[in-house]
Amino acid sequence: MSLFLDVVTSSAVLFIVATGLLTIFGVLKIINFAHGAWLTVGGYCAVATTQTGLSPWLALPVAFVVGGVLGILTERFIVRPLYARPLDAILATWGLGIVIGQLITLIFGRDVQFTPSLIPGTVDVFGTAYSAYRLFALLAAVVLGLGFAFLMEGTRLGLSARAVIMNETLARILGLDTAKIRTVTFMIGTGLAGLAGVLLTPLTSVDPNMGVAWLVGSFMLVMVAGESFGTLAVACLLLGGAQVVVSTYVSPILGGITIAVLAALILRLSPKGFSRA
Amino acid sequence: MSEVLETPVTTAKLALEGVTSGYGHVEIIKDLSLEVRPGEIFALMGKNGMGKTTLLKTIVGLLPARRGRILLDGADVTKRGPKALVDRGVAYAPQEQPLFQDLSIRDNLRLALPSDKALAAGLERVYGHFPFLADRLAQKAGTLSGGEQKMLIIARAMMTEPDLLLIDEISEGLQPTVIERIAAALKDERANGTTILIVEQHLAFVLGIADRWAVMKLGQIDDAGAIGPDTEARVLEHLRL
Repeated sequence: MSLFLDVVTSSAVLFIVATGLLTIFGVLKIINFAHGAWLTVGGYCAVATTQTGLSPWLALPVAFVVGGVLGILTERFIVRPLYARPLDAILATWGLGIVIGQLITLIFGRDVQFTPSLIPGTVDVFGTAYSAYRLFALLAAVVLGLGFAFLMEGTRLGLSARAVIMNETLARILGLDTAKIRTVTFMIGTGLAGLAGVLLTPLTSVDPNMGVAWLVGSFMLVMVAGESFGTLAVACLLLGGAQVVVSTYVSPILGGITIAVLAALILRLSPKGFSRA
Repeated sequence: MSEVLETPVTTAKLALEGVTSGYGHVEIIKDLSLEVRPGEIFALMGKNGMGKTTLLKTIVGLLPARRGRILLDGADVTKRGPKALVDRGVAYAPQEQPLFQDLSIRDNLRLALPSDKALAAGLERVYGHFPFLADRLAQKAGTLSGGEQKMLIIARAMMTEPDLLLIDEISEGLQPTVIERIAAALKDERANGTTILIVEQHLAFVLGIADRWAVMKLGQIDDAGAIGPDTEARVLEHLRL
């Protein structure tokens, strides 16, 4: 039971982390390599909120707003001129990630920091005492997934975003403000990355390079998933589950490269990953 | 040609003044002037590659005009993007990739409106012209037949009750019955006050509904006039050259 819960909750955490990256990739066709930096910003929002004596829960909206505002600025001044040059956009966001990491180091120092768990203690699950926070993360992932499904399928913004994904020229012809849709999408993506950073903090320490470790896994999952949140969930469950199994039964070191190796194999066999499999 | 150019600017719904546009280093539209009067159907014809589609793209702002002016109801809209023209009552039914194939008919129609408030009224309008849409709103646009897709394109353009409707080669590959339905719909729109600029190669269809016409050649207006008994012969003469 414990292994099953580990698989499910680890997959949920991966889904939370990768959602922001997929949001931006799905609509903007841009791989935002500053994603790890936005996760770190979220982590430090949790640190700052805790240090100022405020409720750790407050870090969630704070990180979403901080990530979102920084995302608007990034989209406007860095990414927007590079939409037609996606490779340059990757380099630019990679460089931005480095700059953000250094700025965080300047402000908070290099020391590793910790934040209290949003939900401490354990819960009994069919006779197994299991981390209440990890179960909360599972719930958060489900809420996030359902929320996105509603956003994309049930709202005008989602319809507009899907229209831009499918045929941006036609979307423009119909009068959709595609620039605004791009900005809002980028803002949501970076806001979600900040939110994910907060949700990670009870599971990992916070340091200026905290997000980098999650970036590679997220990137590989998004490549495998394509542009769908449903396939992202499947990818997280399969590859994340494999990571947990390998870490548990073989070696944590090999577990650390499981997602990357499996993603490379999947993409070798099916270049479009799960999206057209 | 002179008749088209003689219309005073103040009476034109759409006026192009010395417009030049193109792709890269190539100029496709060259110093072109044209006026479309309020409430008329204006047919723009010409062989393939003469710049008809490029001209429509320039008018709606997908392609920037390098020189000249584009006036809508006398207001300069030359440097405005497609959204500004849509906000001013312009609808465009393009020839290339004209539908969101993976979206439902309903969503394709919804996207023509700025919000869902006017959706019910818009749907009622287009059902009047194309009743088959009413029973198939949930069907994906990409699963419609070629003729049905063309009718959906026109229906979507009509959703907003546009003041100016631009249509690009809508009749291509269609059966006569479908063409008749589209022609009837366009004549109804004109009767309701919509001005229509239609690019077409199907002469019987377009000359049957148009009030005036022009033929494009190498990015310029080669000939133009009001619809009359000799129109078809004149147009054919240009198309054969």
